[in-house]
Amino acid sequence: MSQTQELWWASESFWRKTAIWVTAGSFVVLIFLTFDTVDQITAGSKSERVKAYSVINNRIDYVFDEKRNFQVPVIGPEEPLFGKKLTEEEAMAMVSKGKLTTQAKNCMNCHTLLGNGAYYAPDLTKSWLDPMWGSKETREQTMVNFLINPQDHLYNALGRRMPNLGITEEEARATVAFLKWMSAIDTNGFPTNFKPIDQTDAPAPAAPVVEPVVEPMAEPAAPAQQ
Amino acid sequence: MAAIGISNSAPLNGGQKLAMKYFTVAIALFGAQVLFGLLAGIQYLNPDFLFGILDFSVNRMLHINAMVVWLLFGFIGSVYWLLEDESGVPVVGLGLGNLSFWVFTLAVVVVVLVYLLVQVGPGELKSIWLINEGREYIEAPRWADIGIVVCVLVFFFNVAATFSKGKFTNIGGVLVMDLVALAGLYLAGMWYTPNISMDQHWWWWVIHLWVEATWEVLVGCLMAYGLIKTMGVRRKIVETWLYIEVALMFGSGILGLGHHYFWIGTPEYWFTIGGFFSALEPIPLVAMVVHAVFDAGTHKVKSTNNPALAWIIAQAFGNFFGAGVWGFMHTLPQINLYTHGTQWTASHGHLAFFGAYVTMVIAFMYIAIQKWRGDVYMSGNLVGAWKWKWALFLLHAGMITMTMALLISGYEQSQIERAIGGSTWMAYFEAQGHVWFMQGMLWRQIGGWIFAAGFVLLAWDLLTIGKRETRPALKVQAE
Amino acid sequence: MLEPVLLANFFIVFFSAASVILFGAGYALLFAWSRVRSRPRLMMLAYAAYAGLVVSVITLAFAANLFNNSFWTFIVVLMLVGYLVAPHGIWHLCVGTHAEAHEDEVNPIKVYQQR
Repeated sequence: MSQTQELWWASESFWRKTAIWVTAGSFVVLIFLTFDTVDQITAGSKSERVKAYSVINNRIDYVFDEKRNFQVPVIGPEEPLFGKKLTEEEAMAMVSKGKLTTQAKNCMNCHTLLGNGAYYAPDLTKSWLDPMWGSKETREQTMVNFLINPQDHLYNALGRRMPNLGITEEEARATVAFLKWMSAIDTNGFPTNFKPIDQTDAPAPAAPVVEPVVEPMAEPAAPAQQ
Repeated sequence: MAAIGISNSAPLNGGQKLAMKYFTVAIALFGAQVLFGLLAGIQYLNPDFLFGILDFSVNRMLHINAMVVWLLFGFIGSVYWLLEDESGVPVVGLGLGNLSFWVFTLAVVVVVLVYLLVQVGPGELKSIWLINEGREYIEAPRWADIGIVVCVLVFFFNVAATFSKGKFTNIGGVLVMDLVALAGLYLAGMWYTPNISMDQHWWWWVIHLWVEATWEVLVGCLMAYGLIKTMGVRRKIVETWLYIEVALMFGSGILGLGHHYFWIGTPEYWFTIGGFFSALEPIPLVAMVVHAVFDAGTHKVKSTNNPALAWIIAQAFGNFFGAGVWGFMHTLPQINLYTHGTQWTASHGHLAFFGAYVTMVIAFMYIAIQKWRGDVYMSGNLVGAWKWKWALFLLHAGMITMTMALLISGYEQSQIERAIGGSTWMAYFEAQGHVWFMQGMLWRQIGGWIFAAGFVLLAWDLLTIGKRETRPALKVQAE
Repeated sequence: MLEPVLLANFFIVFFSAASVILFGAGYALLFAWSRVRSRPRLMMLAYAAYAGLVVSVITLAFAANLFNNSFWTFIVVLMLVGYLVAPHGIWHLCVGTHAEAHEDEVNPIKVYQQR
């Protein structure tokens, strides 16, 4: 085998070293970024990207930030979930229970959370703020009732229903806490153009409990066109 | 050469016999993936189908989990296939390898049964340990996670020890380092946190760094071996190019993680990192195109295994369109804001996984089957060649139909649900009921049936190819 | 600051982004082909493909509001320069890595029927 002019930049050893250095270099940069990112997305960190768990004691709203050019979460006046103010530890325990419930019930294989998951059911990132829950006063209980008996509520004309996953009342409340906490995460404006439920303090409705707009639609089994 | 055309594992070495077992389970799980994909697809068209019995969530979980596991089985099998040949010595811990194969397979069976029969558990840590972790792609309960890591470590030990004992080739070196990363990264997905942002941050370490980095390099190693063995390309050239590819893939892939960190609560600087590496992403593909043309132009290569070569070519195209074109179409954050979490992602995912990985594992299976049949002839005029050709055609036709249908649905979703509707639940359902979406789902299902037909034909072909063939394989002479 | 794509530009973004990759690959393919077969006329086609890539990148940049920000403008320039030189670089690598092979590869690879 003749040893012709082996070009250093085309040699195996050069590219072996390059591969190692590129990989190691990228990884080191990733590690540094990871330290910073993990710090910023720790619940309750200074960056305010991911709020402390006790944020569920307050109203969560969104306002448009001119500088960042998208909607950002703002913490409003005190509005404790289920009327009970929790300490940070209690709030964390409740959110954690809710998170465990979403995992154990496999929510992510129909829904998306922060846009990741399956696409058979709506995104849950800001479900706490979704106008579909009717009024902000009845929202908590409507959500709990739905989670316990979802198969009876058809929210759409497609015929897609959520199955009964054996969610207990405690789990349902915890899940609502988790969803409320998640809705306060600063997601750089995702999902875009979101229009939250009206949360202004309107005078208490005088009318008796009106069934929220989310009751079963006309024909429960109306087969979706197709 | 009496064994030609007769299925006979006698000429295979120990690692290759073990590989055949992995391939068998891989094909069975591929079938499961197709089956549960079909069921989930039907539920889009008829939501009452199996409602309360096998809900969409269960079918979808099995669909994607079967995929991850069968590709993993395919990769492990492929590596065991080349191990003794590449290192020049018998697999060091073959008994251990066999044991871990049975443990892994049994664990998969148990996990699938629990998915099917138990499905969900109470909202407690024990559900995550025993039933279902509820995190897309890595749903396997924690006990199974530990089992997977142990099995991958046994596999790693076998590969590293065998190469250490025999020839530690460059392919072997890259492979061993890659397997360290493969096993190590899985650990990032094995802990619980109530913080969903933190959860998804580490979850992407497993998903992205597996799929878009370590798996890519693993496939690069398999491809390198395949090129040397089936086309007689010189080892020195192939190995230099393996390093070039590793540099390009890890260089663009590791920090390419950034394009998953746009919307999960992570800081805004990931926009710039994700954008920068998205622009670099196509460079490895360009390199591949130039190099492929160069090789085709300078060497006269006759294939000894037509089906394998056809699937390797399919890999090049599939990877280019699935990862390259489909990825770049919606990777910039300015547009990803609308497409993230829609059927767009499903379209990209289907084509990219199929194009980059499924094709490669199938190619390797054909290489294995040829030897298993006693080095049977698999070039032009192969007896019964219509089967592999039709399987190839149907699988591609089905996949392209599904991908295009999902693309149209996703496009509609990004407009109606996101840009116009304001991303509320009402907007979501409006988009889901839109005629473009429903038509897309119908055509996706049709594509699914075509794909399923292709799968059946593929399985049949893998079982029978070369059976009635009496000619021995063509030989390539390298070096 | 990120400026999301306007609804009216969705299709343009998807289409031009796909074109970037397709023209990029077309350019690389024609470039390599022209060199390997020494057909200079194909090189004209290769640069025509690159021109298509330039048009696609610029279209994408306008549709995705990339010129409104210096970082994203840099990305546009990077794409234009990177995709132009990448095939050249890769070509040199191909020649370089195969240099030794050509020496002793009188008749490259033998394929014969074994009996």
